[in-house]
Amino acid sequence: MAGMKDTALTLVILIALVVALVVGAEIAEIRLFGRIATNLCISLVLVLGLQVFMGNSGILSFAHIGFMGVGAYTSAVLTIPAQMKGMALPDLYPVLAAIQLSPYIAILIGGLTAAVVAALVSYPLMRLSDAAAVITSFALLVVLHTVMLHWSEITNGPRTLFGIPKATDLYLAAGIAILAIIGAMLFRESRTGLLLRATRDDETAAGAIGADVSRLRWKAFIISALFAGIGGALWGHFITSFSPKAFYLKETFVILGMLVIGGAPTVSGAVIGVFLVTFSFEVLRAFEASLNAAKIFTGQVVGVTEIVLALAMIAILILRPGGLFATMEIGVLFGRRRQKASEGEKQ
Amino acid sequence: MTAYIQFLIDVLSLGGAYALMALGLVIVYGILRLVNFAYGELIMVTGYTMFLLGGSALPWIVMAAIGVLMAILAGIATDYVAFRPVRAKSVTAVLITSFAFSTLLQNAALLFISPRPRNVPLPDIFSETVHFAGIVTPARNLITIATAVILLAVFAWVMKRTVLGIAMRAAATHFTMARMLGVPANLIISTAFAISGFLAGIVSLFWIGRIGSVVPGIGLEPLLVAFIATVIGGMRSLQGAVLGGFLLAFIDTGLNYSLPQELLKFRDAFTFSLVILILLWRPAGLMKGPASGQRT
Amino acid sequence: MLDVAALELRYGAIRAVRDVSLTVGEGELVALLGANGAGKSSTLRAIAGAHKPASGTIRLNGENVTNQSPERMVRNGVAMVPETRDVFPDLTVAENLRLGAFTRRSDEAGVDEDTQRMFRLFPILSERAEQAGGTLSGGEQQMLVIARALMSRPRLLLLDEPSLGLAPTIVGRIFDMIAELKSGGLTMLLVEQNAAKALAVADRAYVMRSGEIAAEGTAADIAAASDLKALYLGG
Repeated sequence: MAGMKDTALTLVILIALVVALVVGAEIAEIRLFGRIATNLCISLVLVLGLQVFMGNSGILSFAHIGFMGVGAYTSAVLTIPAQMKGMALPDLYPVLAAIQLSPYIAILIGGLTAAVVAALVSYPLMRLSDAAAVITSFALLVVLHTVMLHWSEITNGPRTLFGIPKATDLYLAAGIAILAIIGAMLFRESRTGLLLRATRDDETAAGAIGADVSRLRWKAFIISALFAGIGGALWGHFITSFSPKAFYLKETFVILGMLVIGGAPTVSGAVIGVFLVTFSFEVLRAFEASLNAAKIFTGQVVGVTEIVLALAMIAILILRPGGLFATMEIGVLFGRRRQKASEGEKQ
Repeated sequence: MTAYIQFLIDVLSLGGAYALMALGLVIVYGILRLVNFAYGELIMVTGYTMFLLGGSALPWIVMAAIGVLMAILAGIATDYVAFRPVRAKSVTAVLITSFAFSTLLQNAALLFISPRPRNVPLPDIFSETVHFAGIVTPARNLITIATAVILLAVFAWVMKRTVLGIAMRAAATHFTMARMLGVPANLIISTAFAISGFLAGIVSLFWIGRIGSVVPGIGLEPLLVAFIATVIGGMRSLQGAVLGGFLLAFIDTGLNYSLPQELLKFRDAFTFSLVILILLWRPAGLMKGPASGQRT
Repeated sequence: MLDVAALELRYGAIRAVRDVSLTVGEGELVALLGANGAGKSSTLRAIAGAHKPASGTIRLNGENVTNQSPERMVRNGVAMVPETRDVFPDLTVAENLRLGAFTRRSDEAGVDEDTQRMFRLFPILSERAEQAGGTLSGGEQQMLVIARALMSRPRLLLLDEPSLGLAPTIVGRIFDMIAELKSGGLTMLLVEQNAAKALAVADRAYVMRSGEIAAEGTAADIAAASDLKALYLGG
C-alpha cells in the first residue's frame, strides 16, 4: 500500500533531486550549467502539468503547449515596460498599454489566465475518449496557435515579441518546480486524483460508483493548464523574446517525450523523464555542435536530438509501455527495498 | 456565370485532393480505430523522392511513380515501426509512437537533406493555363479533378468488387470475425497502410505541384486537412471521408471568396473550432460508419 | 479429428475455463452443452483461434494448433459459425458468402459453384442475395452465417448457439439443416443451450458447468440421465 509515508518519501527524493541540481549548478559556476538547470526546472513545471492530466486520466492531450503560450503571452503583455510597448506591440489596446506589473505577479496571472481559458473551452471536451479526445485536443492546439499567430494586438503576430523583462533565475524556477512537484503529488493522492485514476483503469466501473468522469477530467485539465501557464510565463521571463512558433508541435513533442519516457502515470516518472531527456539533449547538442564545428558535413547538422528522442520514445513504448516509472512512485520502490533489507537483517 | 464555374472548378480540384487525403487516413482508422499522426510525412516522402530524382534524366511520370511507390513503402513502414509493436497495448501508446515516427521522418529530412525548401521537378503541363468559355484556370486544377474522379471510381470498384476490398470492409466492421473467415489480419492492415501511402503519394504530386518545393514540415497542413475532412464526414465511413473532403473544400473556398482579409487569417481557427463542435455533437463524425465495431 | 486437452482460458484475472478436455472424431457431431456462462462459447472461440489459451493444447488431426491465429485455423479446415449477429451488416448476402470463401479466392469457378449450392440449400438467401446482411431476419442471418462458414469447405464446423433467440419453427429448420450436414459426413462441434434439440442430432455430448466438464457420454446416455436439469442449474 502506498501510504502517507511512501508519498512523503517520494516527495523528499524528488525535491532532493531539484536541490541537488541547484547546488550542482552553483558549485560549477559555469554560466551554461545555470541555463541548463533553469530550463530543466521550467520543463519540470510543464511536464508535471501534463502529468496531472494525462497521467491521471490516461488521455493524451496535445493542447498543453497552447496553454503554455497563453501564460507566456499574458505575462509578457502585462510586464513589458510601457515605453517599450510602442515598439514591441505597436497595435496593443490602449487599456493594456499603460499596465506594467511586477513579473512575479504577472507570472501568477499568466497561470490563472491559462487555467480560466482551459476551464471555459474544455468542459464539453472532457466527455470524449479515444481518438475523438485526441483529435479535439489537437484541434484546440491548432486553434490556440492560430490565434497567437494572428492576434497581432497582443502577440505581435508571427513576429518575435521582445522586450520582456528578465525575472526568472535558477532559484525562482527551482522553487516553482518544487511547488509543482508537491502540487502534482497532492493532486495524485487527492480524492479527485484517486477517482480519476480509477476512471483511467475502468471508465464504466468508475462511472458505476458515481464518479462524474467529465468533471474529474475537467478539474485535472484546469490544474494542468495552470501549471502550463505558469511554466510558459516563467519561460518567457527567462528567454525574454519569443514567437508563436515556440508553442507548437516541436515543443509538444519534447514535453511529451519527457513524460512518456519517464512514465506518465507517476509524478516520479515525470520528474525523472525531465532530468533524463534534458541531460541527453545537452549531450546530443554538444555532439551536434562539435560535428558542425568539425565541418565533417557540408550542411548544418540539425535534428539529431529529435531523432534520438523519437527512437527512445518508440523503444520505451514497445519495451516498457508505461515508461520507466509505470505504476509505482520512487518512494514506494525505495520503501520496499528498505523494508526488504531490514527483514533480511532480522533473519 | 463564369464566376460560378470558376468557383466550382476551385472547389472540385481542392476537394478532390482533400477527399483522397481523407480517404487515406480513414482507411487505416476504420480498421484499426487508430489515428496515424505520421500520415502527413507520407506526402513529404514523395516530395523528397521527387527532389532526389530531380537531377536524373527520367521522364517526370517515372519519377512520380517512384515517388508514390516510396510513399507506399513509408506507409507500410509506419505500420511496422509505430503500430504493430504497440497495437495491442493502448490507444495512447500508438498515438504517441505515430507522433514520434512523424517527428523522426521530419528530422531525418532535416538532417540528411536540408531545412530549406528543395525544388521538385514538375511536368510542363502543371504550369500551363487553360482558357475556355471565358474561364482561365491552371491545367493542374483540371488534372486534379480528373485524377480524383478516376481514383475514387477505381477505389469504389476495388472495395465493392474484389475479395480483398470486401474483406477490408468486413474487417472495418468486425475484425475478429473477418479473421475467423480466414482473412489474415496482417494482410488487411498492410494493405490499408499501402492504400493510405498510395493516396498520400498521389495527393503529394498535386499538393507539391502548387508550391513547387518541399520542406520537412510540409505534411502538417495536409494532415490537418485530412483530420478536419474525416471528422466532418465521419471518421469510420469511407464515403463520409470523401464527402468531408469536398465539403471542407467548399467551406475553405467559400471563406476565401467571402471573408475579409482581416478575418481570413483566422480561417484555421474557425475550421478547427468547427471540428471540435462537430465532435462534441457527434463523436464519430457526421456520417455513421459500419454498424458494429470493435478495436483489435 | 479434434483433440483438446486440459484447456484453460482466462479473461484478465478470471479463469473462464479450466481443465477442459474433449475430442471430436471424424464424421462425428458432438454437442457441448451447459448453462449460460459455463464457458462453452469461450471454448469454441479458443478452438477457432480467436482466444489464446492460458494453458492446455489443441490438436487437429494430431497436429498441435494451440496458438495459431484464427485465419490459420480456417486454412486448417476449421470454420466457425458465430452467434447470429455476426453477419457483416453492411455487406450484401452475396458479399458475405464470397468472404466466407476467402481462403479459396483463387478458385473462382469453385466459389461460384459453391455459392449456387448454398442458394439451393437456403433458397431464401438467393432471394436476398443483393440485400445487406443487416436487413435480414434473425433466422435468415443464422442461415447466412452457416452458409458463409460452409463456403470455406471446412472439415470441422464449429457452431455457436445456432438456436439462440430464434422462433421455434426456425430452430426446427436449423436443426434439420444440421442433421443434413451430418449425413453428408461433415464433422461438427455444436455449442447449445437447447439441450433437447442438440441431443436429438448429436452422437456424443459434453456438459460444462462453471468452466469445467461436468459430464460426458453418448447423446442417448446424457439425454437419459435424470439429473440433466440439475447439471444445468448447478445443483
